[in-house]
Amino acid sequence: MNCRSEVLEVTVEARQVEESMLALLHTILLHRSTGKFHYKKEGTYSIGTVGTQDIDCDFIDFTFVRVSSEELDRVIRKAVSEFKDALSVSGSDGMGQICLEFYQKKKSRWPFSDECIPWEVWSIKVNVVNLANEQERQICREKVGEKLGEKVINVVEVINRHEYLPKMPTQSEVDNVFDTSLKDVQPYLYKITYQITDSLGTSVSTTVRRLIKDTLAL
Amino acid sequence: MAHFDTEYQRLEASYSDSPPGEENLLMHVPEGVKSQWHHIENLDLFFQRISFITLHQKNGFTCMLLGEIFELVQLLFVVGFTVFLANCVDYDILFANKFVNHTDSSKVTLPDAFLPVDVCTARIRDNAFVIFVLTISGVFWLHRLVKFIYNVCCYWEIRSFYRNALKMTMSELPYATWQEVQARIVEIQKEHQICIHKKELSELDVYHRILRFKNYMVAMVNKSLLPVKFQLPVLGEYVFYTRGLKYNFELIFFWGPGSLFENEWSLKPEYKRGGNRHDLADKLASRILWIGIANLLLCPVILVWQILYAFFSYTEVIKREPGSLGARCWSLYGRCYLRHFNELDHELMSRLSKGYKAAFKYMNCFLSPLLTVLAKNVAFFAGSLLAVLIALTIYDEDVLAVEHVLSSITLLGVCITICRSFIPDKHMVFCPEQLLRVILAHIHYMPDHWQGNAHRSETRDQFSQLFQYKAVLILEELLSPVVTPIILIFCLRRKSLEIIDFFRNFTVEVVGVGDTCSFAQMDIRQHGHPAWMSEGKTEASIYQQAEDGKTELSLMHFAITNPQWQPPQETTHFLSQLKERVHREVTGHTGDTHQYSLSESEPRSLIANLLAGPSTLGSVHFARDASLANHAATAINDSASALRSLSPVSGSLYLRGSLSAVQRGHTSTISKAMAGSGTDARTVSSGSSAWEGQLTSLVLSEYASTEMSLHALYMHEFHKQQSRGELPRHTWHRQDSDESSDSIPDEVRSEPPRCSRNLPRSHTFPTTAPSPSDIPKSASDTSTNTRGQEGFVRTARVPMGGWADDSQAVPRYPEPLPEESSDDEMPPHIHKVCPSMSVIFFLFFFYCLYNKYIYIFFFF
Repeated sequence: MNCRSEVLEVTVEARQVEESMLALLHTILLHRSTGKFHYKKEGTYSIGTVGTQDIDCDFIDFTFVRVSSEELDRVIRKAVSEFKDALSVSGSDGMGQICLEFYQKKKSRWPFSDECIPWEVWSIKVNVVNLANEQERQICREKVGEKLGEKVINVVEVINRHEYLPKMPTQSEVDNVFDTSLKDVQPYLYKITYQITDSLGTSVSTTVRRLIKDTLAL
Repeated sequence: MAHFDTEYQRLEASYSDSPPGEENLLMHVPEGVKSQWHHIENLDLFFQRISFITLHQKNGFTCMLLGEIFELVQLLFVVGFTVFLANCVDYDILFANKFVNHTDSSKVTLPDAFLPVDVCTARIRDNAFVIFVLTISGVFWLHRLVKFIYNVCCYWEIRSFYRNALKMTMSELPYATWQEVQARIVEIQKEHQICIHKKELSELDVYHRILRFKNYMVAMVNKSLLPVKFQLPVLGEYVFYTRGLKYNFELIFFWGPGSLFENEWSLKPEYKRGGNRHDLADKLASRILWIGIANLLLCPVILVWQILYAFFSYTEVIKREPGSLGARCWSLYGRCYLRHFNELDHELMSRLSKGYKAAFKYMNCFLSPLLTVLAKNVAFFAGSLLAVLIALTIYDEDVLAVEHVLSSITLLGVCITICRSFIPDKHMVFCPEQLLRVILAHIHYMPDHWQGNAHRSETRDQFSQLFQYKAVLILEELLSPVVTPIILIFCLRRKSLEIIDFFRNFTVEVVGVGDTCSFAQMDIRQHGHPAWMSEGKTEASIYQQAEDGKTELSLMHFAITNPQWQPPQETTHFLSQLKERVHREVTGHTGDTHQYSLSESEPRSLIANLLAGPSTLGSVHFARDASLANHAATAINDSASALRSLSPVSGSLYLRGSLSAVQRGHTSTISKAMAGSGTDARTVSSGSSAWEGQLTSLVLSEYASTEMSLHALYMHEFHKQQSRGELPRHTWHRQDSDESSDSIPDEVRSEPPRCSRNLPRSHTFPTTAPSPSDIPKSASDTSTNTRGQEGFVRTARVPMGGWADDSQAVPRYPEPLPEESSDDEMPPHIHKVCPSMSVIFFLFFFYCLYNKYIYIFFFF
């Protein structure tokens, strides 16, 4: 695929899942969001401001920074809690993966729907452990905090690299690059998906797609 | 409350996020998405399409699309007409076994022979087999139709890509070569970033993406991993590799349900780890079993599908490579075996087509004397009968009205044609060793034990695995639905562990490309073979070494076809060393102190050197050709004419190479390699002035292929010496027989006639007046270089003839001369074929095939 993919791996306790996921997703989105664009005249725009906010975690010794946008937070929270529920329901060993995918839309001609082409995918693999006693929990609380701190630095390093980003769009194309539905902030178009355990999941659909594509190939 | 309001009043006054004073400073100008070509999702597919379209739209999109529409109509016609012939014609009336009771006249008309519509439909409805065939054909046709519509969309997309991103107009597109298009793609990557991982795209990346799976297949054939060779009780070693089998292999490895690849660009992570290889192998084995069983069950459907598919693919193949019209063709296995890593289809086909003639001749060397005697006598008797019948017919044409006279004349004619194919040409000389060398110059690979054993029938049999009868190919394809499941279930399944290991060991992840076959990296250090000039550089174990010098030759080939490519440091070193060596050999033995130094050790091609240097090679050829070219001087820029005139010069250069090679054990085969490989630039220009713009790239690609031939021969020779550790045999004495055997046109044997023949040809040039400025130049060149001239006059003959001789083989040649034009030594209906008993049956097949390949499908 023509996109970058980054993998982060964390090992947490069940009750820490939600916060750790929020921390990581928000950290990434903080760096992948801009202020709202205000297009002024022909071909120029100014960028609005983005507020930030410190969030303290309850179950982890950790504080992270997120964009102070309630709407964005609501969307992310919803996705994460779905993931958390799925993870607890599945009853498996507590392996899961949540993907944050940044994509661009490409307008297609009439019979086809718009293509969504990802350019960066962050996969966060979660490993849930069960702890026996309070002391271990206490240790875990600190450990996870440290780990998340490392991850955040990791994320920032990756984002600091000079790599492909979609070019700044003109007014008509802004919806193809940015998510303009939010009032106060404008992240790149993103999609959050999750997956519980390494199921076969993908292979069947890709095979069918490939089969069709192959028969149609030149 | 009031003073709170005052604090925040300013915000309300102008509700804007940016501070009011700085508004003007923080203006941004959006770059906008200039084109839709940034960041393409599936680059593999995209590049594949571009390369396909670049190579197949010779006359623009309209022709390409129209051709496809007609293919669809053809299929409808073929199916419909066959069903009609089988069910709706009353043959009794046609053969006059039954009389029609006409009232007005006694004449039988065609409509009389047709059955009424209701009878006809009833017959079709009752016949389950016909219904079955019709259903599958319908599905097939619909599939083609959907494919066609899909293709139109793709064409449209690529077309706008050409236009907007590559900035090529539609009018210049038909003349664009793949190399040019590729260069532009590499160029626009910098601007549009179609691949987001890298700032710049290299040629190798593009090739890797296009040929990702093909490289795997080549490597697997190279390492003899795929079960395609079988020991059969009667036939001995037999290679069975058909489209159907290939399709199944690809299904299993690359994209089928639960295949090794996760998606088009990455291998599944579990296959990259060595941990549970046995489990994975078991899983693979059971999958192969299921696919084999599915194949077995679907066998009849596949068979019908195969026939329909064959119909289409052969029309397409014949369109693409006129060489395939002959009795033989390169087998699918041969194509896999002979393919370099990172070699596109058209590159492979062009060199195989160039080798076709020599290969055909080589196979014709082996005619069994027994069959010849038999054939001569059968031909004698059949001929006598035929002569009598014809004579009688001439005397009185009523003879034709006698029952079966016309049919027996036809049959006897066919019989004689077949017999004549077994009678060897009186003027043919048996010189397989040389022929094999000429073949080698094009196909670049052959097993070690062939060298020196070219006259043995074992070698011939093995060669026929690569170069098989068309009829055998078709028969194999038809048998394939039955044989494929057997091979899958009994042979491939056993190899599952090896396959798992292969994919694990030979997959590397390349940034910006994904998982590719590590052989395709062409890294001498990892996959070099010590016996193939990479001694001391390679660290590969025997398992890792590519056989037959594939890594080295592929590397050489890729570097030559893509001179812009920047190989890694070590590779550059290897290449320059090798080139230097070859060039030293070339220059070393000639003894003429030419001012031209060939020992430059840049990783650029010899051609580039040739072009870059001021061409002081003003031998008589340069002079003569310059004057020749001057007829077209107004239209042609300097570089083009320089190129054209360089063609004989480089010819002589290679001949010098061959001279030295003669001392090392070659005979003048390299020069014959030249003979097969080149198009003469002059032929191009004399044909039509419209192609002038393309001339440069065309000539360049020809030089490149010739250079590759030279290197391939050199490497094989080197390998031979190294592996045997003995002095090369001197085969001087062969040169004479060689001269006579290869059909060098008379015109190149002697210098003056050739010259005089060439000059009249020039009147087809667009402008006839020679430019006066160049004539003195050529004259002075002649006079100043008289010393070096001697050698050239003597040596340049053979390649000259060669270049002129074989100009049809260029794939991108805009108006390819038909293959037949150069096969003048063979009347069109005579196939020189090698005898083997089974062949007799097939002869009828490809007699049909030769005349009208379509009829064969009626036959089925």
